Amino acid sequence: MKLALRHAFVLVVCAFAIFPVLFVLSAAINPMGTLASTDLLPTGASLANFANLLSSDSYPFARWFANSVFIALASSFASLLLSMFAAYAFSRMRFAGRRVGLLALLLIQMFPQFLAIVTIFMIFTRVTELYPAFGFNTVWGLILLYLGGALGVNTWLMKGFLDTVPKELDEAATVDGATHAQIFWRVIMPLVTPILAVTALLAFIGTMSEFLMANVFLRDPDSKTLAVGMYGMIAGDHRNANFGMFAAGTLLTAIPTVGVFLWLQKYIVSGLTAGAVKG
Amino acid sequence: MTLDVREAPRKGGETRTSPRPRREITTAFVVSRIAVLAVTAAILLYAVPPLVAAGSWVSLALLCAAAAAVACLYLTRRFIPAKYLIPGTVFLIAFQVFPVVYTVTTAFTNFGDGHRGDKAAAVTAIETGSVRQAPGSPEYALTAALRGDELVFLLVDPKTKQVRVGDANGLAPLAGAQVGVTGKVLSAPGLTVLKAPEAAARGQEISALAVPTGDGVIKANGLSRAVEGKAALVYDAGCDCVRGNGDTWRADEGQGYFVNAKGEHLAQGWQVGVGFDNFARVLTNPTISGYFAGVLGWNLVFALASVLGTFALGMSVALALHHPRMRGTRFYRILLILPYAMPAFAMLLVWRDLFNRDFGLVNQLLGVDIDWLGEPGTARLGVILVNLWLGFPYMFLVTTGALQAIPRELTEAAAIDGATPWKAFRRVTLPLLLVALTPLLISSFAYNFNNFNAIALTTDGGPFPADNPQVGATDLLITYTFRLAFGAGGAQFGFAAAISVFIFTIVAVISAVAFRRTRKQEEVYA
Amino acid sequence: MRKRALGVATLAALAFAVTACGGSQSASQSASSAAPGASASTSAAKSGGTLVIWADANRVKPLKPFADQFGAENGVSVEVKEISKDNQQTFLTASQQGSGPDIMIGAHDWIGNLVQNGAIDPVTLTDEQKAAFSAKAIQAVTFNGQIYGAPYAVENIALIRNTKLAPEAPATIEDLVAKGKELKAAGKVKEVLCLPVGQKGDAFHVYPIFASAGGALFGTTPTGDPDAKQVLVGSPGSAKAFGKLKDLGEKGDGALRTSITNENYIVNFAGGKCAYLISGPWAISEVKKGGIPYDITAVPAVKDGKPATPFVGVQTFFVASKGKNKALAQEFVANYVTNKDVAKALYEADPRPPALTAALQEVQASDPDAVKFMDAGKDGMPMPAIPEMAAIWEPFGIAENAVVKGGDAAKAAAAAQKAIDGSLKH
Repeated sequence: MKLALRHAFVLVVCAFAIFPVLFVLSAAINPMGTLASTDLLPTGASLANFANLLSSDSYPFARWFANSVFIALASSFASLLLSMFAAYAFSRMRFAGRRVGLLALLLIQMFPQFLAIVTIFMIFTRVTELYPAFGFNTVWGLILLYLGGALGVNTWLMKGFLDTVPKELDEAATVDGATHAQIFWRVIMPLVTPILAVTALLAFIGTMSEFLMANVFLRDPDSKTLAVGMYGMIAGDHRNANFGMFAAGTLLTAIPTVGVFLWLQKYIVSGLTAGAVKG
Repeated sequence: MTLDVREAPRKGGETRTSPRPRREITTAFVVSRIAVLAVTAAILLYAVPPLVAAGSWVSLALLCAAAAAVACLYLTRRFIPAKYLIPGTVFLIAFQVFPVVYTVTTAFTNFGDGHRGDKAAAVTAIETGSVRQAPGSPEYALTAALRGDELVFLLVDPKTKQVRVGDANGLAPLAGAQVGVTGKVLSAPGLTVLKAPEAAARGQEISALAVPTGDGVIKANGLSRAVEGKAALVYDAGCDCVRGNGDTWRADEGQGYFVNAKGEHLAQGWQVGVGFDNFARVLTNPTISGYFAGVLGWNLVFALASVLGTFALGMSVALALHHPRMRGTRFYRILLILPYAMPAFAMLLVWRDLFNRDFGLVNQLLGVDIDWLGEPGTARLGVILVNLWLGFPYMFLVTTGALQAIPRELTEAAAIDGATPWKAFRRVTLPLLLVALTPLLISSFAYNFNNFNAIALTTDGGPFPADNPQVGATDLLITYTFRLAFGAGGAQFGFAAAISVFIFTIVAVISAVAFRRTRKQEEVYA
Repeated sequence: MRKRALGVATLAALAFAVTACGGSQSASQSASSAAPGASASTSAAKSGGTLVIWADANRVKPLKPFADQFGAENGVSVEVKEISKDNQQTFLTASQQGSGPDIMIGAHDWIGNLVQNGAIDPVTLTDEQKAAFSAKAIQAVTFNGQIYGAPYAVENIALIRNTKLAPEAPATIEDLVAKGKELKAAGKVKEVLCLPVGQKGDAFHVYPIFASAGGALFGTTPTGDPDAKQVLVGSPGSAKAFGKLKDLGEKGDGALRTSITNENYIVNFAGGKCAYLISGPWAISEVKKGGIPYDITAVPAVKDGKPATPFVGVQTFFVASKGKNKALAQEFVANYVTNKDVAKALYEADPRPPALTAALQEVQASDPDAVKFMDAGKDGMPMPAIPEMAAIWEPFGIAENAVVKGGDAAKAAAAAQKAIDGSLKH
């Protein structure tokens, strides 16, 4: 009975979650596909929009897809590592400027990013001159730039979680003579896999949908990410004509995220069986 | 005695308080040190040569100092927190702190459209823009050539077919040149005629060469034509003014413009410091001050509703799924993260169309005729709803993760003690969740307080009252102030930066107060 | 466990190494792919002859062959890059910082702002070249007496009507509304007129009707250019014109509706939901897809009103002042894109009427629409290129939205005027 209630509630929320998605799906399989003309039930079903999208000359969708997945995987992995380190320090150590540092981390994120574009241009114009491999139009430059945001929200997220891991655990390890590095890798990391997985997923999604910087950075049609490329599809006067393809693209964009989620899901719920605390 | 890792380094660190046996030098220790050194060396090897080549000694010194500091940091056993913080902080400083600091400094300037560059650039732009083709002068066919090492122009008058050679000193007739059908010179005695690729490679020299004539100068227009032109406006360093067209514009360093006696200015200006003018403008602008309270109120409601709404919904679903006998959780979870997996900007646009009065799905499904985004109340409800949809999967995910970390024994213990599920939740689960999530709620609040896209891509601030097109019902501080900064007369970055500083201060104060309250929670486990 | 730490350290070192290698690799790849088909030119390309063009997504492909050809002829490599958001601001910022292109493609109404930022140079066209363009196009790219770019396409909005439902072109807006209402009453259409209004108005599309009803944005200088010192949005004539929009709006004829937006107006027409559409050449592909028989005429005037003058926009190649290769850029803009084949190729990729008269004539044979649009815009007004125009769009649009919803016209006009004045003071 109580399980039924749970199911009912979750189903209602799921309905809320997917109703706009269904609408997009309907637009994507509607041959006369435009967002504005579509009802929830498509007037016809065809995969023409998907076919057009994947075979389009002007929109190298497959390349965008690959670029996005690569950038998102690389930068979320790197930023996970960086923010995990920082969160460990913020949660486990007491040092001068700790709380100020935490607050500063948060506040830095609050500055409107598009104002910073001027400075980003300034920095990367120099970088492009000196180190073309990390300059404009390179994936590596963009990943570097993304690492600038690695500490931001992720550190807060993980620090909060680390705080819930009892400190007796690492204290016990310290007594056993473990170094801080050993505690980090051996004690803390295994305990926080669910959080690591969640943070990795969030970082992945964040990079997948990042758009402002990628748009400034990537200017070859072939080097674009999904978010930038798809925005280009509906920018300007052509938005109407492209809405069907755009809807199809929007749906396909969700695939890598769902894939990563499926992959990470077992870690996210692993804590359930592992019984987080054995101390 | 076990406090070493948490000891503040300034107190002398672990050596003082470390009564336990000296650690042996492990392989991992050695290897990790070698790795750090190797990486530092590799970065230096890669980064130094271009800096040397470019002669950027300051950057080079900075780089070396940073590398030395990093090497020291990781080779010693001290400064443990720094070891963990530095990797991310390096990137943070380069790509976040520096841009923010630089942007804030622009708040003290008039940086913006019309005032982007320096004065020299403005003068160049004014002079270049005022060059007019001399009346009745020919359109020369241009051939670039070399006289020894010197670049010269071979100019063919299309009407008379007369060939002349032009250099930095002036024009001289040229005899014996062979002219092709296109009007370009094919060969000339004593000169090396440049072929197209050679000329293209010398494009900058060609652009720079000005051949003086009696009245003006002949300059290349592309690679195959040249025209005689004269700058109508000329900068005179003596009076620090621009003269021409029977008028004089004097440099006004306060405004960053050349201004004439009538108070009119030339279009091209330059960036100057304006002190606190931009800040004063924020405070005295009647549009900002007149509506500030109302907008701030709605802004707070929007941010709070977004945070609490997404948290409540996300947590509820996570709790509902957090049950050992719950089936289909994997399937549910996929559906629930879908809103988060779709590109946000696309879905914001989709939602805007869903809310369309005549063609939108919301009205069709509900069978009503509501102008959702056209009336203040429904528009506000609408944007909060959209933001709820966009944001709850995030909260769902983090709560799901946090729930795994809560020892099941605790809730079970509470159940054994006879607590109702609700009480167990209130007393055990929620407090523990909040330890993990309060920092996140604060950062989520701060994010939503400035959630530009959520408003800009749905209502763009609207609906607006008929008598005031500047402040709409769903405007956040950031959207309506940025409309002032970027809406008219192009982008005013300096003004926008000043606005950002104010908004930043508001968010900072709220967040800092909330953050202080987390100190207690942090100690729950301490 | 030590092993694990060791493993991680190696992994990290490896990752860095891979990063470094991968980086240089991709750089060399992009460098080699940047010299397309012009193998003879690689040596010249190395000596610094690279021309960078920024275009929006629709124009990268059609430009590519010509860019390559130009590159081969001049022994340089030409890169066509794509940007899709905030193109003008991105160009300005990038230029200022030294990362900008040599050539930028954009609408002529950017000129005022680009000039005040010293971002573009005048382009010298010969008299013959000027004569080859339509007069409107040259007028549009002329600012302060200088030509600031090479125009390649001219576009303006017109009335597109469903000839099955409305065989006759309406003589006036009133006729149009009468016929539209009749069709709506008969259940043949859902809407009287498809003209985007949206929640923030749309000054571009409503301007012909506004102008015809006696409204104006700016006064004119003695030379006939828009005068930024005389904003006329709140003038009695404009207030009257807003009144006309109110009459056409939701509380009046219902021809203008806020629910008709930029996203749905074309598709509604293409789906047969309205008999009249006010839009530009970009709408045609969608209309054809919907299989609607259509004809294109000028936007009709208000009865006894002034001519309904649409805005004319001209797509233009600009020479960036801070480009690294100005001579080449000038060569490309002044002497290369002014040729007919380039204009035609761009037309075929994106059918907007070419600015070159000769290209227009060739296009005309296969596509009568181009000329019909051109005719509909012959009285049009080049979109004001003065920077002050930026201050008009939004307050005007909001005033339009307000009156369409039934708000007081005089009040809306006055409020818009006040907002514009306020923002122009700075």
